[in-house]
Amino acid sequence: MIVDSAPAFDVRDYLRLEMMPHFLCPGCGHGIALRALLWAIHELGIDKDKLAVVSGIGCAGRLSAYIDANTFHVTHGRPLAYATGLALARPDLHVVVITGDGDCLAIGGNHLIHACRRNLKLTCLMLNNEVYGMTGGQVSPTTSESRLTTTTPLGNSEPNFDACALAAAAGASFVGREVTHHVPKLKELIRAGLEHPGFAFVEVLSDCTEIFGRKNELGSSAEMVLRQKSELRPSAYRDTVDTPFRSNDLPTGILTKTERPEYGMAYRKAAAAQRANTAARASAGVNERKA
Amino acid sequence: MSRPTASTSSIEGEPLRPTASAAKAREPMNVLIVGVGGQGVIMVSKALASLAQSKGYQVKQSEVHGMAKRGGTVFSHVRFGPQVWSPTIPKGEADILVALEWAEGLRWLPFLKAETGIFICDTKRIVPPFACLNRRPGAPLRYSRETPAEVRAHVAEGYAIDATRMAEELGNERAANVVLIGALSTALEFSAADWEQALAQFVPKKTIAVNLDAFRLGRNWIEEERTAVDDAEAPLAHIPAPAAAPYNVRLEITPAWCKSCDICVKLCPERCLRLNQERIVELAQPEKCTGCRLCELLCPDFAIRVHLDAVAKEVAAMPGAKA
Amino acid sequence: MNAADKALSPKAAVHLISGNHACALGAIAAGCRFFAGYPITPSSEVAERLSRMLPEVGGVFVQMEDEIASIAAVIGASMGGVKALTATSGPGFSLKQENIGYAAGAEIPCVIVNVMRGGPSTGMPTRPAQGDIMQARWGSHGDYPIIALAPASVREIYDETIRAFDLAETYRTPVVLLYDQVIAQLTETVDLGDTEGLMRAERKWASGPREAYQPYASGDDGIPAMSRPGAGYRVHTTGLNHAENGFPTQNPEAVARNLGRLLAKFDRHHDTIDSWQTLSCDDAEVLIVAIGISARAAARALDIARARGVRAGLFRPITLWPFPEKALREAAAKARAVLVPEMNAGQLSLEVERILGGKRVDAIHRYNGDPITPAEIAQRAEALAKEKK
Repeated sequence: MIVDSAPAFDVRDYLRLEMMPHFLCPGCGHGIALRALLWAIHELGIDKDKLAVVSGIGCAGRLSAYIDANTFHVTHGRPLAYATGLALARPDLHVVVITGDGDCLAIGGNHLIHACRRNLKLTCLMLNNEVYGMTGGQVSPTTSESRLTTTTPLGNSEPNFDACALAAAAGASFVGREVTHHVPKLKELIRAGLEHPGFAFVEVLSDCTEIFGRKNELGSSAEMVLRQKSELRPSAYRDTVDTPFRSNDLPTGILTKTERPEYGMAYRKAAAAQRANTAARASAGVNERKA
Repeated sequence: MSRPTASTSSIEGEPLRPTASAAKAREPMNVLIVGVGGQGVIMVSKALASLAQSKGYQVKQSEVHGMAKRGGTVFSHVRFGPQVWSPTIPKGEADILVALEWAEGLRWLPFLKAETGIFICDTKRIVPPFACLNRRPGAPLRYSRETPAEVRAHVAEGYAIDATRMAEELGNERAANVVLIGALSTALEFSAADWEQALAQFVPKKTIAVNLDAFRLGRNWIEEERTAVDDAEAPLAHIPAPAAAPYNVRLEITPAWCKSCDICVKLCPERCLRLNQERIVELAQPEKCTGCRLCELLCPDFAIRVHLDAVAKEVAAMPGAKA
Repeated sequence: MNAADKALSPKAAVHLISGNHACALGAIAAGCRFFAGYPITPSSEVAERLSRMLPEVGGVFVQMEDEIASIAAVIGASMGGVKALTATSGPGFSLKQENIGYAAGAEIPCVIVNVMRGGPSTGMPTRPAQGDIMQARWGSHGDYPIIALAPASVREIYDETIRAFDLAETYRTPVVLLYDQVIAQLTETVDLGDTEGLMRAERKWASGPREAYQPYASGDDGIPAMSRPGAGYRVHTTGLNHAENGFPTQNPEAVARNLGRLLAKFDRHHDTIDSWQTLSCDDAEVLIVAIGISARAAARALDIARARGVRAGLFRPITLWPFPEKALREAAAKARAVLVPEMNAGQLSLEVERILGGKRVDAIHRYNGDPITPAEIAQRAEALAKEKK
């Protein structure tokens, strides 16, 4: 598996080395997702000075601190709202949001659906590990049915969110999902999201090995990574496999891609038209007075 | 495939009287066509089966292509005659063995009639994935070492034909199977015109011209080969050389970042990593490492960096690598 | 041309405008180029005005999905280096508190207009109140410094909006502009021609080599220079307690040092931050302390009281937080009693009692939506003056 830009890409060029090693647990999938993001950024040649990463609270939210860019670790659930302000005020910046399943879908759910609707150019990377890891392993909106968490001692009986279906239904013009096991594919997906001229929602299926994995006896870190391969059906198989591997099977790859006007661009265009109109009326007023 | 007349409506029914010279044999003609996925084995057998049926023979064609991912083995048995019972050719009963790939040809040699069997084989060599003993770049490949001369010594009548190159020269490498049909046609009773008519039904319309050229080329080649005085053998086609490793693999491990999660150790396809006494990853078997980077990509802690260091050219030519 | 457009022209000086309109004009004059908000009575006119005015000056207006998103977007825009404003009222102000705390802790300049209406909860959306005085100071969790300004007239809203931006930018802090529903929707004739005295502060931007830059280094004045994204500094901003380098820390010394600097941030700058008005304080036996609409009533009450022989004076804090303590002590030096008329159940009076120690402090507390009248204040002042005789 030698991938084109892999030899040239050294993830350390994009890390704050003084902050390493990062604070994530052994085997945590978020580190793999972070690599894929930085790899995609490398391939696109995005200037680190022009890269702004906004992240929320939780394990995923902590990732921004390790990225050598303009990074903003904001309040719980709100990174999309902060990023909306930042991206509208600074259209020259490349704004990426890193958020978790709880951050994005529970406390920040309202911001997600409206970001999808608004279609401002942002790339939202939601790292879904099915659990509130930072707080010790409570049930999250994406926890699978019957999974044990510290707040579902009898097994989770709440239905979970399909985040991508939610984003698509809310109007997101780019929606994709990938597992951390497929790093080059994940990189390609994030890259497509970064290139998308509008709001891009990318869900990364990541592993919480130390808390969720242990609690549910999902095996070692390596076993959990491998399980992604056996239990999740890539979308390419959708038409050929009759029975899903598990009941809440999640398709991967680019799931939605539509063209809609980018909000920032549309706003600036309307504002320019308003200014031209005002100027025209002002000069007309001057002429009237002269006549 | 439609039946030519109502009189062949039953498999065991009264067969049509075979036409012309074919009638002399009561036994069916057995043609075994082999190759690897993607080469056009099935097309060759379908053309032959169709032609035989159109001439009034009972035909049975039996193929295995379920495993035929590109590069996987594919074979097809074609039997035709006044009466054919079994769909497959028993070992040692094939009249003709047509192989689209050299090693596949050798694999099926035991099926050929020892005394009279005709072996027509492309010298094309496709190294199957399972012939890779070691995925490290430059590692030697396991592939048959028999030369065409050695093979010919073991068959009644053998032809090693560089059909792929010939088709390439016609401008379409994919017509190699039709070059072999041309060669095959000389061993059977059907006329060239009949063959050409049958072929036209089985190749894409756009490629009819080039395929007819390929047919004639194969036919002419084998006629010349039969009458040739010297025993010069066709050179074996060039195997995509086991790439001499242009680099040495070196793993740069940052021990302070490794959290002993074991993902790299368990997921390494070569199993060449391990955790040392301090439970920090190390490269235990560097000779096995192929530089695939899976460990680097899956390390959540960025503790592994795979370097592919360029090596000097004279060193790059791996000793023992087949030319 | 509508009133907003006209007002943008420096030549047109005299206007008949509302408080909320003046706030929008002041924001544009201060260089505000970003507004995010959510509709709420009685502050919506600020948003409506700016939705037209900001595109005219190349700024951005966005109506967000909720109050929290609005303050978040404002802080986000400011982190991008743009002066930013949001406007709300009680319920929205409550919702914004967590993120106001973030702006205070991470030291991101921004201005929050809170038009006070009746509370608690949904309260009385169309009636005035002054019940958010304490929330403006203590609304978010933990210890943090904040500036709150309390203008009492339409013209003062204009001036204080400009000053709010100046203070926010200069001291890297959220600034709350606190005024009540009456002044917000009151239309007055104002002269906006004379704005020469107003500052136009710009943020202290990072300069020098990246290696030498510390995003939360104290500097000479206790105010760290901020880095603009894209300028090459690539720093980390977090709501976690952080060290000078901007990264999270739990080291007690580092936390004490940095949080200590933050909490003392305004101490050296009272000269520029503190602002107040005094009326007839020199000989006052009864000092009235009030803000906003209550202060306007109190100013009228001074005349009534003095006509009855009561020497009343007025101390009106314009900078409400940090409270101009020194000025209040001086103004109250000769007063025998202090009267605090306010439209709440007792908030400003608490602070006045705290500052003035054992002095007699009386208050008029009104929370039924009716403003306090001058006559009521004068009557109570008279009663206070006679108390000790």
